[in-house]
Amino acid sequence: MATQNPNIGIYDYTTGETLVREMNPEELTDYEAGLQATAKAEADKVKIQADKAALLAKLGITADEAKLLLS
Amino acid sequence: MSKQTFTTGQVLTAAQMTSLQQTALGGGSTTAKTASYVLVAADAGTVVQMNSAGATTITVNTALFAAGDTVQIQNVGAGVCTVTAGTATVNTSATLALKQYDSGDLYFNTTSAAFFFSTDAADSTSPLTTKGDLYGYSTLDARIPIGTNNQVLTADSAQALGLKWATPTAVASGLTFISRTSFSSVATQAVDGVFTSTYDNYLLIFEDMTAATGADDFYLQLRYAGPTTETGTYYGWCETYDLAGTESGLGWSTPNAAVISTSTGSGVNTGNGHMLVQRVGNSSEKAAMTGQYTENETLSGFTIFGGAVNTARTYTGFLLKSSSTNITGVVTVYGYAKS
Repeated sequence: MATQNPNIGIYDYTTGETLVREMNPEELTDYEAGLQATAKAEADKVKIQADKAALLAKLGITADEAKLLLS
Repeated sequence: MSKQTFTTGQVLTAAQMTSLQQTALGGGSTTAKTASYVLVAADAGTVVQMNSAGATTITVNTALFAAGDTVQIQNVGAGVCTVTAGTATVNTSATLALKQYDSGDLYFNTTSAAFFFSTDAADSTSPLTTKGDLYGYSTLDARIPIGTNNQVLTADSAQALGLKWATPTAVASGLTFISRTSFSSVATQAVDGVFTSTYDNYLLIFEDMTAATGADDFYLQLRYAGPTTETGTYYGWCETYDLAGTESGLGWSTPNAAVISTSTGSGVNTGNGHMLVQRVGNSSEKAAMTGQYTENETLSGFTIFGGAVNTARTYTGFLLKSSSTNITGVVTVYGYAKS
């Protein structure tokens, strides 16, 4: 069974037409690239938080103490 | 009775008095005609009634009637009866061609000049034929056909009737509505063709925005050349304060989009906000976007954002999406007048 692409809604002011259709290959590429970039950024963010937590544990201080140290 | 010249001591009969009364009340003796006819002096004060299936004429000549004389002319036949100036002149504001059951009074201003005061039914016949027609006038009554939806009636001296239906021109100043687009459960929603040379600055209003996953980021990317989405770099920042006042942020360069919020909204906790879009209509400028957004009651709380796209070009529209799931909502576009 063929997989259905995500839908894109398009309103064109010049023609007044509104339609919803499956994304074409170019639109799908853009859309998936955006999803991947966002997922990577989220993963990076999680990794940074984990690294911070690990460093604080290694130093034996809390996040507030670390802020105070750097202020 | 026809016009009489009474003499001193003359005794009128009852029949004469009755006839005079009829004449005084606008009726009077009737001379029936079935063919074209030339008025004679004895017609003064009478009714000349034409009754012919074919076209006929009633001719008016000079030196027959005195100033002040009248002749009522009626046409009860199917053929048109035309009051015709013979040697006399006949002036009227109406037609001299009487259709069946039309009539009028021929009044002699002088012995050689008459006025025809028509009671022609055509004078009171509506020229209107179609739903929405208006009653207009040029040199005679005429219809002003209905215009198309949203047109307004406009004075225009170049028109035959002095009026026309026309589409109102955009106001010279202020905020002008351009479009309102509702969308439901789509991965992306494009709004094309709304940025033009008419305006330099635009206001976007986001209403009741939700994503299948409410905590998804809410993005906007510009579009150009019709259907092409700008996926190049966007520089900017979205700063969010949650309900506890804790702030967090997200740069625009990672998703390569204007980040409107780090939480789109969901369920009854819809997202609502606005964005000012500037410099979209110039191929040598990088469009700038600033605004505010709030996701009702939960999650993000309040967001401010601002930034620009790093590619200078003429942008014509935009595309909305969340960071991972389908979106639903309404976006309205307004243009700020240049002056």
